[in-house]
Amino acid sequence: MKQVAAIAVNTFKETIRDRVLAVIVVFALIMIVGGLWLGSISLGEQGRMMKDFGLVAVTFFGLIVAVFVAAGLVHKEVEKRTVFVLFSKPVSRAAFITGKFIGLCGTMAVVLAGMGVFLFLLVWAVAGDASSMILVAVLMIYVQLLAVMAVTIFFSTMGSAILASVLGICVFVAGQLSHNVLSLTRLGKNAVTEALSWVIYVVIPNFSAVDVKAGVVGEDTLAWGEIAIWSGYLLAYVVVVLALASLVFRRKEF
Amino acid sequence: MLRRVVAILVVVACAGVVVAYQVTRPARAPADPRVFVPSPQFFEDFSPSFRSSIADAYYLMMVQYYGEHVAGDGQLDSLPAMVDLVTRLSPHFTRAYLFGAFALIDAGRTDVAYAVLERGFKENPDEWAFPAFLGYFAYQYGEREDKDLIAARWYEKAAAIPGSPAYLPRLAAALLEKGGEEEKAILMWGQAYLAGDKYAREKAVAGLEGILPKEKEARMKAVAPLYDTMPKADFDALIAELFKDYAQ
Repeated sequence: MKQVAAIAVNTFKETIRDRVLAVIVVFALIMIVGGLWLGSISLGEQGRMMKDFGLVAVTFFGLIVAVFVAAGLVHKEVEKRTVFVLFSKPVSRAAFITGKFIGLCGTMAVVLAGMGVFLFLLVWAVAGDASSMILVAVLMIYVQLLAVMAVTIFFSTMGSAILASVLGICVFVAGQLSHNVLSLTRLGKNAVTEALSWVIYVVIPNFSAVDVKAGVVGEDTLAWGEIAIWSGYLLAYVVVVLALASLVFRRKEF
Repeated sequence: MLRRVVAILVVVACAGVVVAYQVTRPARAPADPRVFVPSPQFFEDFSPSFRSSIADAYYLMMVQYYGEHVAGDGQLDSLPAMVDLVTRLSPHFTRAYLFGAFALIDAGRTDVAYAVLERGFKENPDEWAFPAFLGYFAYQYGEREDKDLIAARWYEKAAAIPGSPAYLPRLAAALLEKGGEEEKAILMWGQAYLAGDKYAREKAVAGLEGILPKEKEARMKAVAPLYDTMPKADFDALIAELFKDYAQ
């Protein structure tokens, strides 16, 4: 446990200092402020536009941070050969992966909290109809990105950092289309394709089950029970993927 | 030295060509009245997690499209598809329905505008603006002989929604009277009397004076149904005003 905490703290310090991260966050904040301009051409729907496009900006820039930072976590250690020093001590591969993930979770929490609070204050100051639902939506985006980070770390234990980033983004997109895969399972009568569709449906994370953004703009009534179950499902997904990542990483020879 | 100057001149000339090309394009390519608008189903299937964001993006595009064409060539061929897309992806986006409906009137598609508002009311039964504007559209653009009564029905529905403005029962009553349904108009003037302030009450009394028979017995018989639709104090106050010239 101490090892995991030490690795997590170290990873957090390392990633939060990353200049690329700062550039991405500044760019995200600029995009959120860009919502002001969109609001001005919306015929009185400034609040809605700022909230909606602000949350989209938080999602996409959060995704970029998640995949690119997560993909480089393991690789940097291997490339700089610091991993040899680490594994010469009594540190398990699982502790390494878990610590790296938790450290990145901290960084993502800081990044998303910053963007979320900035968006909330901007909507409050400009449109005057900021609701705490913005922060809930950011929390849900965070939970989604945890799954993306776990998957990216999993891929990074198998291939290059760039490949892991690309696959991480692909999994995010596939997760948005999860319900389409489900509809594939009902098409045709071929048992093999049906079984395959089911496997794909279960393997990719389901990001399309809940849309908190629509709730923020007053489009949907939020079902809190459903949101809680969905969050629990994604956290369980993270645990499974990290376990697989540890398993793959354990087989690596250094 | 000469080669360097020539190279710089070539680069500057190329930059000039690039800028000139882009600057002259808008004049050569006027805005197309028909633009590609995907079906709502496409976006619902493709990205349910971002459907309200996509609706907002298309709403902004719809506003720009309308502004670009209404003052220019007046052709708004793709507007019905845009309104349909935005309102189906975001069924509670009230302003998109209302803006879309009025823009569709400019596009000469009153039938579509009416249908859009009807769908908006179905999706948002607590929004009085939908039946109120449906009443306006029915009265202003309707071609049927009973358009006054159709409009009055919509105003009645709008007036029944909590938070609706006090002028709606008056509009409904006036149109019911115009449509020949005087008994219903009397009841609606009673609602107008209840719903408003001093001004609204004066208007309601004036409206009733216009419908009610002059003869006392007939007048009493005509206002009797109001007793069941109003609190006793308000009914008594209204009767006092309607019969003040009939004392003794």
